Amino acid sequence: MAVVRGHVGAEAPRADDLPLVDGSAMFIADLNRDGQLWARVVRSPVASAVIVGIEISAAVRHPGVAAVLTADDVPDVQIPIRLPFAATPECELALQPPLARDRVRYVGEPVAVVLAEDPFTAEDAAELVALELEERTPVLDLRAGSGADSVHDRLPDNVVNRVPMVCGEVDRLFATAEVVVSESVVVHRHTGMPLETRGLLAEWEEGEGRLTVWGAAKVKHFNRQALAQMLDLSPQSVRLIEVSVGGAFGVRGEFYPEDLLVPLAAMRLGRPVKWIEDRREHLVATNHAREQLHELEVAASEDGRLLAFRDRAWCDQGAYVRSQGLLPALLPALQIAGPYAWEGFSIEASAVLTNRTPVGTYRAPGVTEATLVRERALDRVAAELGLDHVELRRRNLIAADRMPWVFDLGPQGEPIVYESGDFPGSFEALLAQAGYDDLRAEQRGRAPGGEAVGIGVSAFCEVSAVGPFEQARIALEDGRFAVYVGVGSVGQGVATVLGQIAAETLGVGLERVAIHHQDTADTPEGFGTFASRSTVLAGNAILLAGQDLRRKAAAALGIAEDTLDVDLEYARLAPQRLTGEGTFEKEHPSFTFGANLVLVSVDRELGRVRVERHLVAHDAGRAVNPALLRGQLCGGAVQGIGAVLFEELRYDRTGQPEVSSLEDYLLATAGDVPAVEAVIIENPAPTNPLGIKGSGEAGMAGAPAAVANAVADALGAGAESLALPLTPARIRALVRARELNAQPEAS
Amino acid sequence: MDVLRTEFTLNDMPIEVTLPVRATLADAIRSTGATGTRVGCEEGICGSCTVLLDGRPARACLMLAAQARGREIRTVEGLAAGGRLHPVQESFRRHRALQCGYCTPGFMMLAVGLLEREPNASPERVRAVLASNLCRCTGYAPIVDAVLAAQQALAGEVI
Amino acid sequence: MRPAPFAYERVESVEEMLEALARADGEGAAVLLAGGQSLIPRLNARLVRPRRVIDIDGIAALDHLELDQELRVGALCRHWRLEEATSLDGPWAALREAAAHVGLHPVRTRGTFGGSLAHADPAAELPLAAVTYGAEIELRSRAGQRRVAAEEFFRGPHRTALGPGEAIVGARFPSPKPDGVSAFAEVSRRVVGWPLAAVCVVLHAAEGVIQGARVGLGAVGPAPRRAIEAERLLEGSALESSAIDAAAVAAARACAPAVADGVDEDTRRDMVEALVRRTLAGLAGAVW
Repeated sequence: MAVVRGHVGAEAPRADDLPLVDGSAMFIADLNRDGQLWARVVRSPVASAVIVGIEISAAVRHPGVAAVLTADDVPDVQIPIRLPFAATPECELALQPPLARDRVRYVGEPVAVVLAEDPFTAEDAAELVALELEERTPVLDLRAGSGADSVHDRLPDNVVNRVPMVCGEVDRLFATAEVVVSESVVVHRHTGMPLETRGLLAEWEEGEGRLTVWGAAKVKHFNRQALAQMLDLSPQSVRLIEVSVGGAFGVRGEFYPEDLLVPLAAMRLGRPVKWIEDRREHLVATNHAREQLHELEVAASEDGRLLAFRDRAWCDQGAYVRSQGLLPALLPALQIAGPYAWEGFSIEASAVLTNRTPVGTYRAPGVTEATLVRERALDRVAAELGLDHVELRRRNLIAADRMPWVFDLGPQGEPIVYESGDFPGSFEALLAQAGYDDLRAEQRGRAPGGEAVGIGVSAFCEVSAVGPFEQARIALEDGRFAVYVGVGSVGQGVATVLGQIAAETLGVGLERVAIHHQDTADTPEGFGTFASRSTVLAGNAILLAGQDLRRKAAAALGIAEDTLDVDLEYARLAPQRLTGEGTFEKEHPSFTFGANLVLVSVDRELGRVRVERHLVAHDAGRAVNPALLRGQLCGGAVQGIGAVLFEELRYDRTGQPEVSSLEDYLLATAGDVPAVEAVIIENPAPTNPLGIKGSGEAGMAGAPAAVANAVADALGAGAESLALPLTPARIRALVRARELNAQPEAS
Repeated sequence: MDVLRTEFTLNDMPIEVTLPVRATLADAIRSTGATGTRVGCEEGICGSCTVLLDGRPARACLMLAAQARGREIRTVEGLAAGGRLHPVQESFRRHRALQCGYCTPGFMMLAVGLLEREPNASPERVRAVLASNLCRCTGYAPIVDAVLAAQQALAGEVI
Repeated sequence: MRPAPFAYERVESVEEMLEALARADGEGAAVLLAGGQSLIPRLNARLVRPRRVIDIDGIAALDHLELDQELRVGALCRHWRLEEATSLDGPWAALREAAAHVGLHPVRTRGTFGGSLAHADPAAELPLAAVTYGAEIELRSRAGQRRVAAEEFFRGPHRTALGPGEAIVGARFPSPKPDGVSAFAEVSRRVVGWPLAAVCVVLHAAEGVIQGARVGLGAVGPAPRRAIEAERLLEGSALESSAIDAAAVAAARACAPAVADGVDEDTRRDMVEALVRRTLAGLAGAVW
């Protein structure tokens, strides 16, 4: 058998599709254990209140109810922050308890858990739990400050932390600028909304002292550690298992209150406990995202050179700092500079508490918000200068020969380093694919017919491939090369891509490789699936493990490594129980470049936007599987279109959510979006052997910005602030305002 | 709790289930072990639970189990025949019309219902019908492509 | 999301249905379940909590659609039957188009005409069509039968003329002039979903002059309504663009939209004006 190469870069079919198309795949709702109870969470009906009393006796007496747990029944613990760099002492003052004690702080906050024989009874009994609440005035304004009530008494001004960043001599640059533009953007609240809601099934085996939890995703090793600590168990006695996951997008798989409550109930009651979140719960219980207010000032020279910016941002954390700590404020700060050669900038992002559902990360966190704010402002600069908005970006993208590019944040901050890439070249590839000049001609050609056609662009740099490390182990098991990794599959096809890397490294066929990532019992400690890191980190760990295995195998057989065919020698090697081990460490995250170009038409009378073309370009370093990469980019872009046109988690003045079902939370449908075109750029990353750059989120990052810019372009509103999402009412308001302005003065 | 016995046909097999009167058709189907009919919103919006009811696509979450009495239900588990995937299933794989796969059975049943009743549906009609269900991963274009290709494949089979 | 407990009763005939309704103890305690496409979501979310659910889904006698001198639609006629009824063309086309806009394709498999009327959502398509065509809703109770004009039937959001013990058994649509034309249009946030504004237009012309016009508006007030002033402006006109513009403006004035779904009154009026203008312009070719 010949050594098989060429897997990396091939459009290999996905490894895990068959059970998904024949219906046999097991998602968490499909799993059951004998004797299981069903959990139902009782949630706060109000945004802010003091808990005077919780009356559970009627629920406890209800036939079929095994138990009702309240805060008194759970350990006095709080959900910890997963990422040390996103934690501060102030964050510790606003962590969430698994069940509310004394205070409730958002609609949907868990207050009690009912355990019953079936889901009907659990829900019936949950209604019998009576809450006596003394309502408080909710904090809903991002800039409420110290005059308002406090979400947490120990943070009286409702600010957890301020994140400052300074680069260069900003005041001097502003003083010398010929053009200064101010832009205020409110990014609206929306979130990941996977088609599958969260769910858990937990079983406690008293005799063995072993806890098994099915339904993990994203960061199962961290969650195991956190759960073990809360329950006072050793991590080795806790096992988290990932089954098929119906989408995650950053929100699923973080440690939520239920991640303690369900296992705890299983231990207390000595029976397996199952919990399946329903969609209405999901809309208030699972992390929200994105809500922030930015005030951005941009300084530019007369000839269209961007000099500096100042950004002040108020980033909603919701009612608690959850497992991602300050990321909602850190990530936009880290990514608002983007791919441009600024001489300086200053940022102050405040992490603000409000009485709304806590905020976490949603695909392309921070970069999506920051790109929206910056790219809107750049279009205003272009309008001010009378410059084509593509031309403005051309003049300011960091040139390839200036790589690596460093934004020096002074002695206090770690510098922002763009290690590689050809931003102008990538941007031109996008324009060429789009046929930019032709599109401008088309726009002019359609205008006389009364059509409002607009073109929008956006460019961004996205932080990805975050460390610190991943490990891989390859063993010869069950007749195949079994690869164990600590990252997760959330539907993105990571097992296929990692299988390609393993097969390439080992020099074997794809079918000879099996990727194992589901079970903390047999996978190496991993940091999980987020920040477009799984393929980069685990892929390179597999590369190292594969090389290690080949080295050991060659030594064991006493032959030269370059003549070794591991597959041919499988029968001789397998009894020797060789394993290849690899750890890929990555101290610094990498920034990747991406850009979008969008053509929209706007029905001025009905206020409706149609996205006619949407292109997304992304420097993937090296495309391990171009087809799957396109899938990530196009799917992400459609989420971005939906985010800016349709999706919004609105609250009323009392802190009640106005969006409670998918009837109100509008996801784009097949009729609302074009076939997105992906432009894959491959400038290999110098900081990992495979040259890969993270790609899971790039489709989303610049999409809302490009659509918003295109709509503004269509309406001739390039220099106006847009309220988001771009609903018919808002489009009509823009059109009406412009019609009014266009009317001659009344005599 | 009040329970009710209901009989219906599931993928050409007579089925009898005894469930709470509040149970939906989705509960009834899933209680038989055929869990490919997935539940995503329980309000008829997402379409992950779409099945064929006497040949037409319907939301299994918007029908009481009791209302299925005597009806013919087809689900994803009934698509493959004789060890071969249905052309729509093949096409979804080939066109990479799935990522997480949660919405996939519902989309395939929606498509099969359409293509069986309207084999000559125009691409616009196909797209309009596919707008009934939600997918959060693919951006839809691969799903539309898969269904259009399956339409061609099915037309080839008939000839 | 599981419904609150209820007792379930399946009935096979209109008589059984009326008996069951009469037996149910008082208003609000029992609901009729037909296709369930509006009711079951609200049951699942516990937004309605009936003590008894009377399942009328299987009453074969109510599942009919007959067109002769008039159009008779049974309460259990599924939306897809109206949508696919190719005989509904010309003056009836708007009814067919209205049905094709209800909910989503799979929802139209199960959803029923009577269910849509009884749910009486101010944005719903079939109530708008019933009002525009001047349909009469047929109601039955153990006490007898009565007919209510659609315009009288819809009293407000989810409020109708249905009394205790009463059920919709069908509707009669008087035949418009055979050479008439009609159209339905709506605008929503996405290509699917509830309309933010909807219009239904039925016109009858002789020698290029409009003899009769019916213009109905949906999603712009507590219940669907006709734009009487717009109809008056159209009648006697040749559907020239000035008449169309005047009718569109009049229609926009005729609505009393509430601020809902984040849409302000001005925007809804703008939408009505544009939809009426476009719909009439689309019909102008057919009239001449």
